[in-house]
Formats: sequence, C-alpha cells, structure tokens
Amino acid sequence: MPKEKAFFFPLRPQRRKGNKIRISSKLRSIQLIITFTFTTVTVLVAVIVSIMLYNKFAKTAEANANLNMQQIIEQVNYNLELYVNGMRNIFETAEGQVTNSSSVDSALLSERIGMLMGSREDIVSVAVFTPQGGYVIGTPGQNMRLNTQLDTQSWFTSAKKTSEVAFSAPHIQNLFKGRYTWVVSVSKLIQYRENGELKTGILLIDFNFRTIDELSKQVKLGKRGYAYILDSLGNIVYHPQQQLIYAGLKYENVEPVLEYAYRSYLDESTGEKRFITVRTLAQTGWKIVGVAYYDEIVTTKRDLNQFLAWFLSAVILGVIIVSILLSALIASPIRRLERTVKLVGEGDLYTPINVRGAYEVEQLSKRFNLMLQRIRQLMDQIIYEQETKRKGELEVLQSQINPHFLYNTLNSVIRLAERGKTEEVVTMIQSLSRFFRISLSKGKNIITLQEELDHIRHYLVIQNIRFKNKFRYKITAQEEVLQLQTIKLILQPIVENAIYHGIEMMPDEGFISISAELRDELVVIVISDNGLGMSQETMKLILTGGNKSGSGSGVGVRNVNERIGLYYGREYGLTFESEIEEGTTVTIIFPALKTQENLDKPKEKEDETSA
Amino acid sequence: MKTKRFWLTLLMCAGLWTTVTSCFNSAPDYISTNKTRNIHMIVKMNRGDYWNTVKLGAEAAAQEFNVKLTFKAPDSESDIDEQIGMVQASIKQKADVIILAASSYMGLAQVVDQAAYYKIPVISVDAEVGSARVRTYVGSNGYEAGQKSAERLIELLNGYGEIGIINFTNSSLNEQPESTSTVDYGARDADERERGFLNYAARYPNVHVVEISYTSSNITNAEDLTQLMLLKHPKLRGIATLNETASQGAAMVIKNLGKDNIKMVAFDSSPSMMELLQEGTVQATVIQNPFSNGYLAVKYAVEVIEGMDVPERVDTGTKLIDLDNMLWPENQKLLFPFVR
Repeated sequence: MPKEKAFFFPLRPQRRKGNKIRISSKLRSIQLIITFTFTTVTVLVAVIVSIMLYNKFAKTAEANANLNMQQIIEQVNYNLELYVNGMRNIFETAEGQVTNSSSVDSALLSERIGMLMGSREDIVSVAVFTPQGGYVIGTPGQNMRLNTQLDTQSWFTSAKKTSEVAFSAPHIQNLFKGRYTWVVSVSKLIQYRENGELKTGILLIDFNFRTIDELSKQVKLGKRGYAYILDSLGNIVYHPQQQLIYAGLKYENVEPVLEYAYRSYLDESTGEKRFITVRTLAQTGWKIVGVAYYDEIVTTKRDLNQFLAWFLSAVILGVIIVSILLSALIASPIRRLERTVKLVGEGDLYTPINVRGAYEVEQLSKRFNLMLQRIRQLMDQIIYEQETKRKGELEVLQSQINPHFLYNTLNSVIRLAERGKTEEVVTMIQSLSRFFRISLSKGKNIITLQEELDHIRHYLVIQNIRFKNKFRYKITAQEEVLQLQTIKLILQPIVENAIYHGIEMMPDEGFISISAELRDELVVIVISDNGLGMSQETMKLILTGGNKSGSGSGVGVRNVNERIGLYYGREYGLTFESEIEEGTTVTIIFPALKTQENLDKPKEKEDETSA
Repeated sequence: MKTKRFWLTLLMCAGLWTTVTSCFNSAPDYISTNKTRNIHMIVKMNRGDYWNTVKLGAEAAAQEFNVKLTFKAPDSESDIDEQIGMVQASIKQKADVIILAASSYMGLAQVVDQAAYYKIPVISVDAEVGSARVRTYVGSNGYEAGQKSAERLIELLNGYGEIGIINFTNSSLNEQPESTSTVDYGARDADERERGFLNYAARYPNVHVVEISYTSSNITNAEDLTQLMLLKHPKLRGIATLNETASQGAAMVIKNLGKDNIKMVAFDSSPSMMELLQEGTVQATVIQNPFSNGYLAVKYAVEVIEGMDVPERVDTGTKLIDLDNMLWPENQKLLFPFVR
C-alpha cells in the first residue's frame, strides 16, 4: 500500500509539524468560530438589554422608594408636630393657671398642677422659678436638690432671653430629688401673683421621651432603617441608638442634614448607600431625619438583580448549548467529509462518500463522489491503456520474427532456387534479410520514416516475388519526411491487408501506392490499393475490433491504430476510405517529429514505471 | 478531544456565571444578623449599677447583632470559684464566645486556657485575665484611673495629709486565708488602679497613704471598713475609693458622720453617687464607660465569630467628674444612661 500511495500522490503535502500551528488552526475551526460569535453576540445583546431594563426599573424603584420614605417621614413629621402642639397647649394651660391664680402658693393651683401632671405620663415636672433662680412653686412633693446650677442651664437662659416658648435640647433633669431623667424642657417667662404682687417668673415643664420614642418607633424604613430627631443646633433630640451615640460608639453625620430644612438625598459617606430625608418642624426647629439603607429599601432592585442574574445565566447557558449544537450540526458533516477525503488522500479510492447534513455539504459530498468516480474511471483507463500498449508491443515483437511469413518466403525462395532463378533468389534473400534487420532494428521502437519505407519496400519486393508479380507498387516520399521519426512496423500490417484481402482475390493486376508527405507539421502516409475494397461495416469493424484480422499473418491494423493513438495521442491514427471493387485508401497521420535519441527517453521511463 | 472541549465549555460557563453574578450580588459589608450567635457574658458581680450598665451596653449590642446573650455573675466580686464554675459551664454549653470580667487575674487564667482549648474565643472586659489566649481586652486603663483619682485628691488636700484607700478584691499583697497557692489572686483592674494611685501619691512627700483596705464588694462591709479606718486614723484628710461599692459605703459613712472636712474621690457613676456628688459629700469621681465596655465586648465577640480582625486592646477611657463638669452635655451623656 505505501508504495501505491506514493505512486498515486507523490506530491501529497506532508503533515505539518509543531503543536502551535495545530492549536491555532483548531481555534479557527468552524464550530469554534460559530459558537464563539453566536455566544458573544447573543450574550452581548442580552447583557445590554438587561442593563437597560435594569436601569429603567431600578430608577423607577428608587424613585418609588424615595417617595415612599418621604411620605413616611412626612407622616412622622405631622405626628410630631401634633405632639409638639400638644406640649405647647399643655404649657399654655399651665401658664394660664399660674397667671390667673390669685396667688401661687394657693392650694388650688398646686392641686391643678398635680392634676395636669397626673393627666399626662410624659410630664416629668412642672415648676416656676424666679429669674434669679429661686424656686417658687412646683409639682407637689418635689424636693429641690442642692447645687442644681439651674441658672446655667439652657432652658433657663433661653426663657430669660425671649418671651417665646423655648424648647430645650435633651438634658438631665437634676433639679428634684429622685431619679435623674433625660428630659426636654419647655420654658417661658411668665407673670404670676404672689401675695397680691405681680411678679415675673419662669415656668418650666419637663417632658420625657416616651411619646417621641413611640412616634419614632412607628417608622419602618426597611430592617435597619430608622429616624432620628435633631434640634436646630444639631443636638440629637432623639435617636433609636441614643445611648450608643452618647457613649461615642456610634456617630451620626448631622452636618449635611443641618444645612437644609427640607431635603432628600443619597448619602454615601459611611460607605453604604443610604437615603436621607429631612423635614423640619415649624415651631421648634427640630429636624426629623429618616435614614433608610438603599439596598434594603430598594428591594425591587435586588429582586430585579436576582431575576436578571438568573435570566442572564439561563440565556447564556441556553445560547452556549444552542450554539454548540448548531455549530456541531454544521461542522460535523464537514469534518466527516474531511475525514473521508483524508482516507481517499491516503489512497483508498473506493471509500464511499455519503455524508449527510446541510444541503451544501451534501452537494459537496455528491460532487466529490462524482469526482472520485471519474478518477477511478481514469485510473482504470490508464491501467487498460498501459496493458494494451504492452500487449501491442509484444505483438510487434512477435511480428518482428513472423514465422509464418518467414516460412512462406523461404518456401518461395526454395521454389525459385529449384527453378534456377538465381537472380530472384538473391533479391528475395537480400530483401528478407533487410526486412528483418529493420524489423528488429536493435529493439528500438522508434525508427526513421526512411527505414520504415525501406522496410515496407523489402516486404513488397518479397511479396511481389511470392505472388508472381500479381501487383505493382509504388513508393513515393518527400525528401523532408524521410528523416522524421515513426513508430516502426506501421505500414506492413496495412500493406499485408491490402495484398491478402484486396489484391490476392483480384483477377486483374493489383497496384499498391504508398506516399509519405509532410502536411502542416503532420506526417501523412497514404496507402492505397485498387483491390476489392470493403463494405462500410467491415471498415467500422476494423478499428473497433469486432473482426480480428483473422489471417493472423501480420500485426493487426487495429493494433497499428492503437499504437499510434497511445504514442502520439488519440487524435492521430488511421483513416479508411474504401469502395467495393474500387479499392481501399488508408491514411496514416501523426505529428512530425525529428529523430532524436532523447525522444525515446520518456517512453523508456514510462516503461520502467509501469513495470 | 471531546472531553477537553467539554471542560473548556464548562470553564467558559463558569467564567461567565461568575462575571454575571459578581455584577449583581455584592456581599453586604455590615455584620449579618441572620444567624443567632450564642455569647456568654460573665462579669464579676450580679449587683451594682456599674454591672447593670455593662449589661445594658451588652444588651444593646446583642439586640443590634442578633445575639443570644447569656449574662452570668456571682453574688460577690470575690467569689472566684463560682466564676470559674460559670466559665466551665459556658464551655460545656458550647458558647460561641465567652466574655469575661475576671475577678482574679491568675485565678481564671487556667479556665480561660481551657476555653481556648475547646476553641471558644475569650474576650476580656473591664478586668484582664492572665492568659495569652484572650482575643481582646475591652475596658479602661486602671493605672491611669488610679492616677487621676490621686491627682484630684492630692489637689483637694492641697498636697499634704493622710490618705486612706478602699480597694476591692484582695491582691497578693494581702494574703488571702483560703488561698493555698501563692499566685496573684487579685483582680487586675483593682491592682492597676491601686498601683496608679500609689505611684502618683509617691511624688508628694507630704502625702501619706496610711491604709489600704479591701472590701469584699458589699456596701455594709465597705462602711465598716471606712469607720474602722476613720477610727484608726483620726488625722485622715482624704479617702480614695477604687470601685463602686467601696465608694458608696465610704460616702455613706462620711455623709452620716457629717465629716465635711474629709475629701473623697470616688469611683464609677451610679445615680446615688451622682446625688452625693451634687450634694457635695463626694468631691469627684473617676468614671469609666461601662456601657461602652459592654457594647464593645459583644460587638467584638460578634466580629471574632465572623472571623474579622479585632484590636488586641480597646481602651474605653476614664474621666474625672466633679460638680462643675457633671452637667456638661457630653458628661451628662456619659453619666446618665439614656433609658426610656
């Protein structure tokens, strides 16, 4: 097999060496290209669409969340405002009671104050002080502590400064014995009567954080969100983690909040995104600040995130699978085709190529199959021709020493000798000798036309003597033709035919004319006789080979035609013209080639290789 | 080749998956509160405002970080054995973290090592413990607190006179009768405060620390010790107390006896102490941050569970409070817990 392979495809490209080239060519495979492109494009589109969707939805979600939060804070703001108004009303009630009372130390006033305190859980203490800080009246049963330093406390100073109702920052109530409590103080300069005298004093009411706490607790801003209250100076009035802030463990960035009375913004100062909403209470200047954690409150966004993540991964997975399948669908028939063709390339010409798949690939496979068939035909033809050539040459070889002809000729010589025709004997023997010399011509296949014409002349001489001058002959040739080359022994079979089939049975004298000339770079040899001629059918049979020129004494005419065709090409060869009772003309045409030694060489080489 | 392609595809998918998911799910950077953590807090004593405030802080953190807080303390600060038993019980109950305010520096060292052996992290709060396995210490600097106390008392005494100190839990200086070993059985914070006070007082040649008494952390005992001290040293001009119970006991004695000439610097900020301060019985008090201690201890405990890095030592600071500055807003915030 390997030898055959080399024979059929000597120039077959060698397998490339080196892994790098192989990998890179693998990367260029159709399947990979399709998979990659398809996936990339689809994923890109999916991602872009997702991002656009996400942005759109996220924006809406964000706006909604923000709005929602603002509404919540607005609500708290409203409630707190109500509460502050309530505080103010209580304060005004108390003020009225103190001012209208005929004397501050009356039992009625003290009872009323007691009632006021009892009515509200969030009032810690009620008291009136002189502008100097002296205690005038207060909740029954309260005892002042020592060292209260009340004249330095903010509620006292601010009440003295303005005649408005003042709300203090949260502070410790240290005036009275009992618990130290965190309170917000409301204070104002008021008038009161003592012993019939109208005096100025400061009314103080302390509120604890119970109600504010409750109000603020209602705020639900996600799991971690909260609301806190600042006073106008930035002190924290209320914070769900007030103690932590007081202890310095937590820190609330109040500066950006303080600058605005009404604001909503996104804060990232802590590293986390937080929505901050600020509202301000008109009366106290307190600010309510809602803090919501962005990723908590914008849950839609997170859901969307998750959904899109799932969606995208599903799409990508799907696309990858589809593109792999699709590319496999396209690429695998091609790969199969390639594999089959590779088998063919390795020399197995009988590999059937039946690749199913895409239309184009099937067509390609079909065409390839046809091509393969044609190759097979040509191969067969080549083999046949080679065989025929060999056979022809063998026959030529045989005809070189044709025993039948020799025997007949020698018989004739004997007869002539017996009759004492010495001259003719000599002529015959001489011709015979030359005839054979040219026949053999040192085993060469190609001889000059001169030699070939000599050869046929000697043949005719012999035959003429044998047939007792039954025919005449004439050989003419142009001078320039003589040195051209020809395959040997192409004339003898034709002349033999003419003699045996055309002239022998003829009653009259026969005539054979042989002329050779050069015509348009072609050698044209015309052999004509005036013999019996032949029918059209016989003529056809001569070349197609139904009739084996049966008499067997010569090399077949068909063989001559075949040899010329094989040697010079199929367009050259013999043509016949024949008319019954008129004669036959055979024309041999082949290209004119000068006799050269090296012209034999390709032939020899071919011989070698075909052996 | 087939398998190679398969793995390649899988790799591609995985890569894409991570890219996509990383775009959308960023890990939250706050401490997750989805999981309940089991933290045991063992302090020195189950009474006293100080420990209540520590507990308050711990509970605030517990609420914030979704911690199941188990709060344990013996009846007395000097009951070391009971505290050891409590730590052992917590180890048995497989606490996630143990927060310990050790009554004895060396006495609890062994049991802390034992906890570490069972892979339970231990955090010290308020008082350190003699073990290298403690993850972090949250508390004030006792030495500094002692120095502050001494500085103010000597200032009040104009730099001369006899001083008596009432401290708590015995240190090795004072042989404990039931103790059989020679190790340092005192509480670390008590030792430090005393050392700080004495080192500062030593700079003043006219100041003499005439007696150091140790109370077993109940007020009656502290009162008795104070009375005894006053009897023994009639020329006593100043008293420094180094913890809450001692302060309360001593202040009660001074108040009841009407000894206005004796200056006193107390420790910690119980409401009754504030009242005494406001009334002038006590001239100053050194306060710590019990709320912060409790809060931070639990917070760091959670961080330890989360595998975060925690600082080795967290000083929550001390402050000297007197009548003048007790109503300053920032001091109000420290002195009075914001209780609703």
